Amino acid sequence: MLWFGFGFNAFGQIVDPGTAPQGEDSITSYNCLTPTRVDRPQQTGRAVMTQQLSASWSRTALLCPHDGDPAVYLSGSGTGGWVEGSRGCRDALLGERHLTLGFSGRVDRWDLQQQHGDPGDPREPGDTGEPGDPGDPGGASLLRLPLVAGGYIADKPPFYRPLAPQLRAVSLALGAEHAVLLSGSGTVYTWGIGSHGQLGHSGLSAEKEPRPVEALWGVRIHSVATGGWHSACISAGGDLYVWGWNESGQLGLPSQAVRTSQGHKSGKESKSEEPEAAGSQEVFISIQAFPALLDVTESCDVAKVSCGSRHTAAVTTTGDLYTWGWGDYGQLGHGTRSSSDEPRCVDFFRRRGMRAVDVVCGPWNTFAMATREEVAARS
Amino acid sequence: MAALWSNISVALPPDEAHFPLRFGDSVDSSVQELLRRCRRRLYADAAPLSQDLALMNAQIVTDISWEKLNTGTWRDVDKEWRRVYAHGCLFKALALCRGDPSPESVRQAVRTCDMGLLMGASIMDDVLHRLVQILQTEVRRATGEEEAQTEPVVKAKKIKLEVPSPPIIKQTTAVPRMHCPSLEHFKANNLLTKQPVILEGIINHWPALSDRRWSLDYIRSIAGCRTVPVEVGSRYTDEEWSQRLLTVNEFIDKYISVKVEEEPVGYLAQHQLFDQIPELKEDIRIPDYCCLGDEDEDNITINAWFGPLGTVSPLHQDPQHNFLAQVLGSKYIRLYSPSESQKLYPHESLLLHNTSQVEVENPDEERFPEFADAPYQECVLKPGEVLFIPTQHWHYVRSLELSFSVSFWWS
Repeated sequence: MLWFGFGFNAFGQIVDPGTAPQGEDSITSYNCLTPTRVDRPQQTGRAVMTQQLSASWSRTALLCPHDGDPAVYLSGSGTGGWVEGSRGCRDALLGERHLTLGFSGRVDRWDLQQQHGDPGDPREPGDTGEPGDPGDPGGASLLRLPLVAGGYIADKPPFYRPLAPQLRAVSLALGAEHAVLLSGSGTVYTWGIGSHGQLGHSGLSAEKEPRPVEALWGVRIHSVATGGWHSACISAGGDLYVWGWNESGQLGLPSQAVRTSQGHKSGKESKSEEPEAAGSQEVFISIQAFPALLDVTESCDVAKVSCGSRHTAAVTTTGDLYTWGWGDYGQLGHGTRSSSDEPRCVDFFRRRGMRAVDVVCGPWNTFAMATREEVAARS
Repeated sequence: MAALWSNISVALPPDEAHFPLRFGDSVDSSVQELLRRCRRRLYADAAPLSQDLALMNAQIVTDISWEKLNTGTWRDVDKEWRRVYAHGCLFKALALCRGDPSPESVRQAVRTCDMGLLMGASIMDDVLHRLVQILQTEVRRATGEEEAQTEPVVKAKKIKLEVPSPPIIKQTTAVPRMHCPSLEHFKANNLLTKQPVILEGIINHWPALSDRRWSLDYIRSIAGCRTVPVEVGSRYTDEEWSQRLLTVNEFIDKYISVKVEEEPVGYLAQHQLFDQIPELKEDIRIPDYCCLGDEDEDNITINAWFGPLGTVSPLHQDPQHNFLAQVLGSKYIRLYSPSESQKLYPHESLLLHNTSQVEVENPDEERFPEFADAPYQECVLKPGEVLFIPTQHWHYVRSLELSFSVSFWWS
């Protein structure tokens, strides 16, 4: 299992710029345009078996074995390295301001904001305010962050927020201003601000409390994801649904901004061919206020999906990685800095005889886990 | 072009140490780190590679703060992030002008400053205003040179503006007119009694109507490269209505000079253009009658309304008195007293409850049966005339030709 990253790297959160020949300020180190091995902690001197990865805008957290126990290695803005006190944690969630660590029976939150000029980073664990009983590992230990016993951990105060037990939350994704929850029965609930259609209730109004997405009634959902202002989910049958803001084509639907910028680049040569004609007939979608089925490929199902702030990445059951949406920082992995409003395969993995098996997006970058393809697995 | 950078340098702090970068806690330390990188680049050497980096750092700052500005509702956006955005635009505009910038780079820098002025907060003593003025001078010089080189310019043909016969205003419904009434007279007969009136002869001294008479060419020369918000769609209550950012030149080319049949109407409406472009403010004056209000002159909101034939502002009311001054073209205006509100069927949603549901010149009599019974006043407002719309008075406005109006909201 190998993790690769691409996209925004201005803080060395994918590849340590220290290892780049020109140092911190080299232009090429700012963005990784093609998948790059996620840097290994120098201290160990060997490839780490990263079990889990979480990315914020300026940092990346790798959960991997360290001297026998799982621990978190942080890279990016501020001082990087193994996080003191992360030893033994089983889950890690990284936000721009906090690192939340899940241990069996307790949750720690570390403040990542540092005042300019302060040496180092004390990273004192803070109180999450979680009322959960530390002595009760019970069902709660199966929960993945940001879910915790009885509620979830947000990146802004109040950090602990309760959830109604009857929701039976099994998974929760938090966007810039909305939340998407998956219940044990496969129902999707959303709440928060809906101004960009990100709640999927057909309107643009806000919801204070979790509300089921009616358009998905009867479809059993098995995973959910959120970007800044868009949402995605995969049904048990492998269908991908998307809704919310399509400003950069992050829904994989025709986006005027993307087509305009493409026309700008290529249109200059073909001025005589009435460039307007084709564009004006196309229906562009700026906001998709209810779930739309998106065919990533014609033939196969979607296994994993993750959203960046304005892009989306999905892994198919055949081991291909597809990306679409905002691409200015190389987060689509196609070797360019352009956006795309339709899913495109990142052929890097296939060309190297690798299968993509998982994908995790940071706000402006993308991380994919790949395995060497066994000959037997090809059949 | 080196002269350009030395002009710009004067508007900036002399060195890194005097360039303040202080932000509140809400701004992430990573973003503050990038802002410091931008500042360091600004005072570093101007090698090409260094410029690419300067531009990249500034672009990151504008992109991340743009995302913050789009999070939550606009009025809840943290002012600190609007300051970050303004700084990002400043650093980006400066990076575009370093070394030997092409005319296109300078134009892009002007657009960048305008984005900072439109969406950012005021920073460093209005540095974006000062910078854009320096850049505009440069753009004008470059444009002048370009035109001089390609001398026999095919001058765009003057467009024949179709002036349809204006609606006939009946004597009984006409808004009364007065020529330069005294302050006392206006106060007693109009302000205190909330009676609309057309004031004649009170703005003829404006440069915009005399020695710097406004025309499309004049507006292009003063504001052509500036970016402004344009409403696209016939009325703001329509489904299809949207707002776009265009330069004044683009707006004139696309929506004013030519009328493409299928294209929706574009309207530079309710925009504080005179704060953005102080040079245009020199051409207008605040009407003396505004001193009758209780509030300071600083609290008067001046908006520009610039558009082609056929722009419509649906019937609505505003919370302040309004002097609507007509500079170019003419407008048909219908007024209803606030006491008629019930017959005007305001929208029920909170956002639009000051807007009537009725299409004034094509009312749906079945849905809005009482509308026809509401008495009204009407007028065609022509260049040099000023309409007094008392606070809460319902008004409907349709342009009869290319039109530029200036509104003064005061209390």
